[in-house]
Amino acid sequence: MSSSEKTSAVLQGASPTPPALKHRSAARQPVQQSLALSSPDQLPADVREPLPAEITVPPSRTLVRASIKEHLWLCIYLPALPLEALTDRKPGTARAVVEDVQGIRRILLANDKAFAAGIRADLSVNAALSLLPDLNLEVRNPQQEERALKSLASWAEQFTSFVSIEAPSVLLLEVAGSLRLFAGMQTLWQRIVSGFGQQGFTANLALAPTPLASIWLAKSGREVCIDDHAHLNGHLSALPLHCLGWPVSVTESLCSMGITSVGDCLRLPREGFARRFGAESLLQLDRALGRLPDPRVSYRSVARFCALHDLEEEQSDRELLLHACRELLLKLERFLLVRQMQVQRVQFRFFHLRVEATDLVLGSVQAGRSVAQWFELLSIKLERTTLPEPVIAIRLRGGPGQLLSIATDNLLFNTSVKPRDASIARLVERLNARMGDACVRGVTTVAEHRPQYAWRSDGLSGDAPRCAAMPGFWNERQVPALLQEIRQTNNLLLRRPLWMLANARPLASEQGHPFYQGRLTVVDGPERLESGWWDDDGIARDYFVALTAKGVYLWIYQDRSKNAAWYLHGFFG
Amino acid sequence: MDEALEKLLKNPGFGRAGLWRGQSRASDWQGLPSGYPGLDRHLPGGGWPQHALTEILLEHYGAGELKLLMPALARLSRPDDEHDREAAGWLAWIAPPFQPYPPALVQWGIDLARVLVVHAREPNEVLWAAEQALSSGNCAAVLLWPDMLSNAASRRLQLAAEKGRSWAIAFRPLSALSQSSAAALRIRLSANHQGMELNILKNRGGRPAVVRNVIRDYAG
Repeated sequence: MSSSEKTSAVLQGASPTPPALKHRSAARQPVQQSLALSSPDQLPADVREPLPAEITVPPSRTLVRASIKEHLWLCIYLPALPLEALTDRKPGTARAVVEDVQGIRRILLANDKAFAAGIRADLSVNAALSLLPDLNLEVRNPQQEERALKSLASWAEQFTSFVSIEAPSVLLLEVAGSLRLFAGMQTLWQRIVSGFGQQGFTANLALAPTPLASIWLAKSGREVCIDDHAHLNGHLSALPLHCLGWPVSVTESLCSMGITSVGDCLRLPREGFARRFGAESLLQLDRALGRLPDPRVSYRSVARFCALHDLEEEQSDRELLLHACRELLLKLERFLLVRQMQVQRVQFRFFHLRVEATDLVLGSVQAGRSVAQWFELLSIKLERTTLPEPVIAIRLRGGPGQLLSIATDNLLFNTSVKPRDASIARLVERLNARMGDACVRGVTTVAEHRPQYAWRSDGLSGDAPRCAAMPGFWNERQVPALLQEIRQTNNLLLRRPLWMLANARPLASEQGHPFYQGRLTVVDGPERLESGWWDDDGIARDYFVALTAKGVYLWIYQDRSKNAAWYLHGFFG
Repeated sequence: MDEALEKLLKNPGFGRAGLWRGQSRASDWQGLPSGYPGLDRHLPGGGWPQHALTEILLEHYGAGELKLLMPALARLSRPDDEHDREAAGWLAWIAPPFQPYPPALVQWGIDLARVLVVHAREPNEVLWAAEQALSSGNCAAVLLWPDMLSNAASRRLQLAAEKGRSWAIAFRPLSALSQSSAAALRIRLSANHQGMELNILKNRGGRPAVVRNVIRDYAG
């Protein structure tokens, strides 16, 4: 077989996962050797040989140049998902997943150790237990599988914007546009396989120009890389029918006619094939060969992060809890990094066995995603929180994500410039975390005659304009120096005290004269303020500057509306 | 007598022997001009000690303690150089006894965009917040009104101020007079109807002194 130029498009590798992780499944059967091939040289000899343990990817230059217009579908088939989706409680033991088939519990999948002991798929539970009495049997959990598949799909979103979940155990990635970024198919392939391996999943990969072809190839266990429609026919023809996932009745009747591979089907007349085996089967063949379009639904992962960490036993040690929280924050960081997002608040919930869960909400002035930022806030806040009971589980929820925005730093030619502003946000966060939200305020003036409304206090969190300098009082920046001087020399400045009382304090008075720690001497005034008649808080006051016997300057007023009572409103400080 | 002494001290032999003259470090630091020449004269470096703790002791708040600081704080919040806006530091007010009134702050020339007011619910939070603000390096000045300030706490504040290159100002009641403190400068402020009297009790690199009538006007 002289097919050296075609082997370049064929990937002859197996997953680089260690043999111990490899599982045997019912769906994976040895490649049939007795295929009636239409043109035998279209199938490279290497494919039929046992799969080598080490991944070897052919020179992938052609794949890097793959045109964006052409789609390339990478199928990730998870043959052992029912087993791997269940958490392995006792590593190193023989395990098997069982499923109810018409009321009889049968083995669906067994791990390596069980397989070595002779446990095979379709074996009844009793037979399996008689073979291996300490076999750990677990019932198949479709919800768990779905969850695992979704989390893997979210993980795979880092490679492409189009990930499709094909239940029950297939992920489809459209990678034509990603090849350049990931430096070719070889690196992409390796990253995906090793990534799945790290998460404890066995993956069979196959690449083809149509989604269905890649699924069939991956399910057949041929880890091939086809980037050209021209090669598709030859590779598909060799596929045995059981990989296609067609109904058993169709496959059986085809087999009884001696038709065992896709190539055999393709040689049958179309009309008769559709009539005898259903239009659906013909449609699938056409789609697999790219004769008909095959649209897929893209999976969109959740926009908000939420993860639960189960502690093995009740835990009250802060260090251990912090460690668990750190793991969660690491997950959050990865989640956000993939999406190029950041969050402004996160919520920790500590679950207890008997009492209600404790919530810890961390807010930040500047949205962020780094573990260090949130961890510091958490440790400050946790230190101040008393947990009523030991904790059994921790849940972390990220707030609504914001698109990552990175402020451009000034190019600091002048090294004497200290970038002081940059991290005031971190100080505010730290203070808020320990002392409660809104303990740190900024202040600003408001254009208003009534003294109590002439200012405002703003929280420094969020994107609220930070102390926007309100026009109102004389802002020295806006008033020319000369004008300022004229005002000062002619005593035109309205004198305002540096200390303001939140509520004016009534003053004792004797014969209409105010007293505060002795008789007051009026130094300046009156300044008459009558304003606010349009709302409920109108004032009619005469303000004076008064001096106490101890030399303290006060800002006092006489209320002209309420029997001329005197009030203390501030200190000149 | 003084001349003879100065002559003797200028002898290079003294310099080599490393004779400490008490005031020798005064010229090492640049003081922050207080805006009141009468006070600056008595302070080493010609102004408030930057990057250190200053304590102001007074009978009751409102006796003129803010006026004393305002020109210096205004200078910190608005550097002379327009292009040097980035260098302007924040002014943190931690647990003030009353509300600092923004219109008056503006009149004194303070940039409100650089003012942080921190309200503390517990006494020990005041010191914690002050230490955080001082050592963050963002605050040019941190004003705090602690209920209690032990010698150890004042030392921590002093160290935090040095670390963050920030000016710490603690306002304390007269009862703190008998306590020792690590502050670089301690001033007792008293007011009577004739004016304000500043009694410099402790003055690192300078001498104790009494200054009268530095501030004549009650506002701006």
